Amino acid sequence: MSAVPAQSLPKPLRGAPEPTPARRLRLVPARAAGRVKPRLSYAIIALGAILAVAAAQLVLSVAMTQGAYELDSLRMEQAKVDRDAQLVREQLDALQSPQNLARNAEELGMVPNTNPVYLRLSDGAVLGVPQAASGGVEGSVPLVPNSLIADVPLVNEPAAGENAAEGSAEAPAGQAPVAPPAGALPTPATH
Amino acid sequence: MKNTSRYPMRRVVIAGALLVAFVAVFVVKLVEIQVVRADEYNAEAEQVRSVENTVYGARGDIVDANGTVLAGSVMRYEVTVSPAQAQAGEADDPGQLARGAADLGAAIGIPAEQITGAIAAALAADPDDNWELVAKQVDIASYDKIKALGIPWVYTDPRPGRTYPNGAVAGNLIGFVQADNGEPQAGLELAQDQCLAGVDGKTTALHSLEDWVDIPGSERTIKQAEPGGTLKLTIDADLQWEVQRILAARIDEVGAAWGMVTVMDAKTGKLLAVADVPTVDPNDPSAVAEEDRGSRAFTDPFEPGSTFKALTAASVIDAGKAGPTSEVVAPYRIYLGDADINDSAFHDDQRLTLTGVLVESSNTGMSQFGELVSDEQRYQDMVDFGLGSPSEVGFPAEASGDLNGGPDWPDDQTRYATMFGQGLTTTAVQIASVYQTLANHGVRMPVQLVAGCEHADGTVTGVPDATPREVVSPAAADETTAMLERVYLEGWLADQWEIPGYRVAAKTGTAQVPDGEGGYRHEYLVSVSGYAPADDPQFVVSVSIFDAVKMNSSAASAPVFRDVMSQVLKKYRTVPSGAPAPELPASW
Repeated sequence: MSAVPAQSLPKPLRGAPEPTPARRLRLVPARAAGRVKPRLSYAIIALGAILAVAAAQLVLSVAMTQGAYELDSLRMEQAKVDRDAQLVREQLDALQSPQNLARNAEELGMVPNTNPVYLRLSDGAVLGVPQAASGGVEGSVPLVPNSLIADVPLVNEPAAGENAAEGSAEAPAGQAPVAPPAGALPTPATH
Repeated sequence: MKNTSRYPMRRVVIAGALLVAFVAVFVVKLVEIQVVRADEYNAEAEQVRSVENTVYGARGDIVDANGTVLAGSVMRYEVTVSPAQAQAGEADDPGQLARGAADLGAAIGIPAEQITGAIAAALAADPDDNWELVAKQVDIASYDKIKALGIPWVYTDPRPGRTYPNGAVAGNLIGFVQADNGEPQAGLELAQDQCLAGVDGKTTALHSLEDWVDIPGSERTIKQAEPGGTLKLTIDADLQWEVQRILAARIDEVGAAWGMVTVMDAKTGKLLAVADVPTVDPNDPSAVAEEDRGSRAFTDPFEPGSTFKALTAASVIDAGKAGPTSEVVAPYRIYLGDADINDSAFHDDQRLTLTGVLVESSNTGMSQFGELVSDEQRYQDMVDFGLGSPSEVGFPAEASGDLNGGPDWPDDQTRYATMFGQGLTTTAVQIASVYQTLANHGVRMPVQLVAGCEHADGTVTGVPDATPREVVSPAAADETTAMLERVYLEGWLADQWEIPGYRVAAKTGTAQVPDGEGGYRHEYLVSVSGYAPADDPQFVVSVSIFDAVKMNSSAASAPVFRDVMSQVLKKYRTVPSGAPAPELPASW
């Protein structure tokens, strides 16, 4: 504030003597001196504001630091979840590969039928010559290799491979009674 | 103030000038630091305080026509140890090095001695060695085991890896990447690298020195990572598997060296399956011999033999020189110009129609028809059918085939031989394309293997050209189809390739393979090419089997043709044919 009147000094210097600016300078403190109490309240407000800002900044800073740790742990968690997702996806891909499906189908005694027969719905006509599937169960796995399914157990051998490690030795025994009775639907035992 | 100096103005001016000069020096320096060299200093400061992270731009997937992933990107881990830290730990806890190495070896499946040996060797070379590679491309299951061990001197670093969930299914086409650095080595991985390759990005962040937690707001992206595009093929993975299975089973049965099957959509020229047996499993390329790691259907040209007679017949009919019932006398041996042509087995003179020439697969008969068309016209037809140049697929190292200098063939023997498929070479894919043209009423469609490359932003590039080209007239093509139907019904393999309910057009061939030194190998390549249903052709199947030691004739490939064709017809729910095939006389 004081720099502004100081710079305006040189202009009056050319035509007028110095006392004039001196009088003006006195006028300002005279006004201010008359209002001491309002200045104190302003000071309190200003100080309070500064303290409030400092406190807010402190709180924000603490919150941000806290947030950084939270963010970091969430990122770690996300990386872990991503890894798990990829692991499961890789297992699923191996399971749904044609080699694995064919292997399981063959294990269950299924054989492909190369003679398709169609039933035309519009007139009920049978197109094609029905023939029973021929040929025995083929070992197709070595024909189209897939190194990813080497460790994948067959569906009807749940005790093999990793499943055995997870479950205890009781698991196969416990599973046996669960198998549905052949040729009949289980009936509820209610009356 | 007034009376302290005689020259107040001068002093004020000098003092002022000094002050201004002094301030100016600072201002200049300030501007230099804050404005002129700000970027440089900032970068330097960042470098000192921040950590740079590589964000991997994932290599794009290769998917089949239905979106089944044939090649995908996964995260793998590089495992390293710090020999110096491992050694230092011995002071507090003797034996921890050996225990740690044993646990680590068990987790990643390498002998513990290998790890302890590597550490000992590294320490011998440099006692302060802090980095020794133990394993690359370690999968997530092993990674979790390593983390659970919590060995302080074992480090892991993520590295992108490649996986092929369906193993050898289409391994011949997809190719593979080098396991340790991801460099594409073969197949579409190599040919379509521009589509598939991602761009790795870089980020930097300031972090707490104590626990390496990033300071909020300090992350900067230096370079944005971009994932690669998804390469979509026209192949159907399930069909490809079935075709490979059928072919591999037959190859085992007849003791053949190798074989290939091409399945093509007759109306669009899209390849639905291209099987090469033996087939590489891209997860483990070294399991098969180096020459078996590609696709012979694209890269190995051979003399097609009698399957080529269908092309010559179509040429002759298209030129208006003969029809399916045009007559000729086909002896066992015939001399035409300087050429000496004979059939594969001795027979008396036969009175054959053009249809009969195809049914009997008579070289002498076909030569007499073929010479009715000018060499220039015959050559032009071959070129129009797509021979003599690589297909539109652009497979790595794809062969063009050799038309042996046509139309100015070096001698009469070659000139006549080219009429029945010898003296020139084609690839299996080119032969499939020839049959596609005949099946599609004389209109050739460009061969397609890649349907396009879909980028991360959804745009699709690399969509192949699909401009049809009429090679022979529809009438000529359809008459050839009718003749090939008679071959299917009357040929010597009629009972071995029968597909009940469907009309099929097919032709066998037995051909010799050049040995690359001007001569022929003594083994034969036996083949069958054809399409179905003949009344409305939809699928082309071409089978070739090389050196079937237990059955060196087309009979080796006929069951493969039958099984593959019926699988294709079944898979695409093709309605069985109604009316029987038209009758055409084979003899007169």
